[in-house]
Amino acid sequence: MGDAASYLELSRRYGFAPKPESASRLTQLVARQDSNLDEIARVITKDAALLKRLLRVANPDAENEAEYAIETAEDALLRNGMGCVLVLAMSTPLAVALINSFQTMLGLKLEDLDPHVADPLEGEHLLGTISFSGKVEGKVYLRISLASAKAIAAGILGMNPDELTDANEIKDAAGELLNIMTGNFKSNLCDAGLECRLQPPEVNLSPDFETPTMPGGGLERMAFKSGKIQLFVDVTANPWNVD
Amino acid sequence: MPLKILSVDDSRTIRLVVGRAVRPYDCVLFEAANGEEGLAAAARERPDLILLDVTMPVMDGVTMLTKLKEDPALKEIPVIMLTAESGRENVIHIARLGVRDYLVKPFQAEQLIEKLGRIVKLQKKETAAAPTV
Repeated sequence: MGDAASYLELSRRYGFAPKPESASRLTQLVARQDSNLDEIARVITKDAALLKRLLRVANPDAENEAEYAIETAEDALLRNGMGCVLVLAMSTPLAVALINSFQTMLGLKLEDLDPHVADPLEGEHLLGTISFSGKVEGKVYLRISLASAKAIAAGILGMNPDELTDANEIKDAAGELLNIMTGNFKSNLCDAGLECRLQPPEVNLSPDFETPTMPGGGLERMAFKSGKIQLFVDVTANPWNVD
Repeated sequence: MPLKILSVDDSRTIRLVVGRAVRPYDCVLFEAANGEEGLAAAARERPDLILLDVTMPVMDGVTMLTKLKEDPALKEIPVIMLTAESGRENVIHIARLGVRDYLVKPFQAEQLIEKLGRIVKLQKKETAAAPTV
């Protein structure tokens, strides 16, 4: 039995949830290295949510869609290259895993939010970072207010937020959330032949946050909201770090 | 005799979630924060089942599983992987090493209990007897 058939059989046996198809397809195209932009643009254009995110990535300074200077997938790809496609492909399973984590572990519905309209974090907050390296390298950043982090940790642990006084438990819960998100997208990358390794998460209190940059790579900023809880996720990635 | 379950995960949060899930059952939970501690705990406690994460500092879960399966005294202990990583290569490699089941994070307590119950006999703790009148 081939690896693909073995994996299908194991996925059934273990009861794995299906992975987002457009993200898998996109990752495979990026991993091929010889894919042409038209082919990638076609995949993205067929998925309205992906196209919306690509245009958001390609117009980082625009406050809303009316201000977009780049309006088509083809233009976005020509201007930004493969780095932004990879980030999109990675962010999809990451966002799905984050939304699933809230649903599964907290019983909360987490909604995607335009980062431009999200209330910015003010003052000291929790900053979690996971680095990955291999054929793809980059970082995932999770930013969250202390109150939100406490509410999440308490929810996961089945406690009242007032009972949670240990800062390490709050940090650990945020780190695990980051771990779950990143582990899911790592699987997607590895399945497409872009093997990489994850570092354990680092979570610290941070007074501010500088927008990360990665020359030649891509950056996607995402925001999510559930009630009073708001989270920011930034992903940077640089593909084809091939030997 | 209560069941012995060993949870090997670098996240205290996950170990606490596992602890909360198995609390209603007649079992003792042992904890380890990496593969090295996990191997030592397995040798010391001889658990009935191990829940094992993949990405951990010091020694990862795949290395621990490999060493566990090489040890004649420990290789029969059933292992359930409890991890966010479900990439094809990793899953196939881990399956070939010999795991009984695989649960992808995030998970619900009910899913964990269902998978545990397929391998070991989970029994609810006896509740206090009703007061007699």
